[in-house]
Amino acid sequence: MDLSQYAELFLAESREHLSACNQLLLDWERTPANPAPVAGLFRAVHTVKGMAATMGYGRVTDIAHRTENLLDLLRRGSRPATDELLQLLFRARDALEHAVELSVVGREDELDVAEVVADLESAAALLAGPERPAPAPTAAVEPPAAPGRSRLVQVTLRAEAPLKGGRALLALKRAQALGAVQGVTPPQAAFESDDFDGGFSFRLDSSAAAAEIERAVRGAGDVEHVSVGAGGDERRAAAPRGAGAAAAAEAIPEKSRHIRVDLRRLDELMDLIGELVTVRGRLNELAAARRDPAVDDVAIQISRLSADLQAGIIQARMTPVWQVFDRFPRLVRDLARELDKQVAFRVEGKEIELDRAILDELGDPLLHLLRNAVDHGIETPAERRRRGKPPEGEIVLAAVRERASVAISVSDDGRGIDRARILERARREGLVDAHAEALSDDQLLRVLARPGFSTAEAVTSVSGRGVGIDVAVTRIRALGGSIDIRTEAGKGTSFVLRLPVTLAIVRALIAGVGRERYALPLTYVAETVEFGVQPTTIVEGREAIVLRNRVVPLVHLRRMLGVSGDAPARCPIIVLEMGERTSGIVVDGMLGQQEIVVKGFDPPQGTLPVFSGATIMGDGNPALILDAGGLV
Amino acid sequence: MSHTVLVCDDAIFMRTMISDILAQAGFEIVGEAETGSQAVEKYRQLKPDLVTMDIVMPDMGGIDAVREIVKQDPDAKILMCSAMGQQALVVEAIQAGAKDFVVKPFQPSRVLEAVQRVLG
Repeated sequence: MDLSQYAELFLAESREHLSACNQLLLDWERTPANPAPVAGLFRAVHTVKGMAATMGYGRVTDIAHRTENLLDLLRRGSRPATDELLQLLFRARDALEHAVELSVVGREDELDVAEVVADLESAAALLAGPERPAPAPTAAVEPPAAPGRSRLVQVTLRAEAPLKGGRALLALKRAQALGAVQGVTPPQAAFESDDFDGGFSFRLDSSAAAAEIERAVRGAGDVEHVSVGAGGDERRAAAPRGAGAAAAAEAIPEKSRHIRVDLRRLDELMDLIGELVTVRGRLNELAAARRDPAVDDVAIQISRLSADLQAGIIQARMTPVWQVFDRFPRLVRDLARELDKQVAFRVEGKEIELDRAILDELGDPLLHLLRNAVDHGIETPAERRRRGKPPEGEIVLAAVRERASVAISVSDDGRGIDRARILERARREGLVDAHAEALSDDQLLRVLARPGFSTAEAVTSVSGRGVGIDVAVTRIRALGGSIDIRTEAGKGTSFVLRLPVTLAIVRALIAGVGRERYALPLTYVAETVEFGVQPTTIVEGREAIVLRNRVVPLVHLRRMLGVSGDAPARCPIIVLEMGERTSGIVVDGMLGQQEIVVKGFDPPQGTLPVFSGATIMGDGNPALILDAGGLV
Repeated sequence: MSHTVLVCDDAIFMRTMISDILAQAGFEIVGEAETGSQAVEKYRQLKPDLVTMDIVMPDMGGIDAVREIVKQDPDAKILMCSAMGQQALVVEAIQAGAKDFVVKPFQPSRVLEAVQRVLG
């Protein structure tokens, strides 16, 4: 049987189980006296063991088997977890993960599992306590002969038969169908022991012929030898059972409703649909020019079908965030331990879904933010007590669906960022006006997110928020998202990442400026108003309009892009909203809405940092995509 | 007409493998269950000729599921899927009414032998 076809399934499912193990171990560590997680752990490890054995991955099977033994002892004893045991189980889980990954790529030989295996063994031996005396093998005393046509049946199971006790019981059941069974030797209880060697006898009160009895007993499978006593008449076994049933030629397709699909296939489909959407745009333009009702009709149908197709594919790419979040509890726990901090870590909104391509990019930025939260946000227990806080800090990772985007926040209740120190540094490095009195949250983030912003000092003496923030901001912006920061001295810090739900195809407003067209994804568009109708005002030195008591600073795209000539007297303002930030983009004209296929884009040096990509319009001409994050 | 089978295992991997082995031998996989209680429910709906049942499953374990199914249908033909070292559990499952068992790692020929015995 070719097993390689199952390797990916094995890997994916093992990862899920091992990820669950992490969570269960963390649960247990939090409430060591409550052994509830042990059953789940046992089940997960057991499943991995079964799969690995089937794949022929000896080392995975070995570690899993020993871990399972230990868990079994813990489960039976309902013991509280000791720190030592938990550490060992964490190690075993990690070793399993490592072994699984290496085995799948055929590098199992590189593994050295001796140490963890030895530790598991000795822990199990310690728990099992002094060896219980093995049940004494029952003496092969002939049971008293039962009255009637009672005959002695002696059975030997094949030496290689697994779980001989179960097989013996099946043989007994088959015999029972022919008559009453008595005097089972060894007693049935021995069938449950692993020491059972596969030899047993019983008395059967039946009028059936010896051959019939033998056939019945053999029907249980794995029977090497049967003898049916009939006045001392003992029969020997005939030829061994033939090979298994021949496989039928044709496989019947199974009716499972789920299949696993290689992500690359979905990517390919997405690319194709992207092209289809572009061509659809061209078709619509051509149809509009033709004014032929028949062509219009087809164009409309194609539009509808491709929209459905696109929605279906995007749905298929949606993945719940837990697939990335699930590794963080363990990470936070390990880091907190290492730094002697106490952290309660909570995850909310695990089931929120995002395009797989976006989710895949989120791991690292979140990792940076969480690391910073534990390392620099949360204070030591002693410091927290001094400040009148509970010694255990809290970090929350939460996902929330907002309009067409998902907000993911990392919040801690730690010491907050020291604005004064950052301001001082920012002034010294010329990042803000030398006379700036305070940093707003936005300015703070801008300063922290500068790749050049030296954090060497900040790391040790301030809060070190600079570490990795530039990486996170760059990554999130590249995905068409944004980061916001809120921080309050002594109370904590919270980062909010906003991301579009999907990347590949978005609905966008098409705006004209000069002779060019620009696309602005609708994800962050709140509304449009007309410039010249709304009175403008100056707030903090910037031109702005007031919309329902909110100040919306304006950005004149024409000016920003250096387009010569005059803007029309009245022109539309596109109001963007990103979290609590907002901005009004003044353009020359609105050219409608359409689906655009986002193509990644490496801006040439010196390009304004307001473009996130490019797209091909229906007429085949390119248009730049404006980055909402860079405009608000 | 081919025999119908309900495959119960919490691991997709195992379900896929058992389904493949049986489908290639001409059986019709009519359903899958991930937990014991799903197995009981699906047995009621599908009335399959054969059930393959994992022992260790979340929610309701395989042995309890066997008890429930046999209560509904004393003639249910259930094949336990066990692992090495589960002697006591296998014995319990048979006492509960399972008709046979196979041991992981599965060899297709042994699975099919066991299936023949159960359906025989």
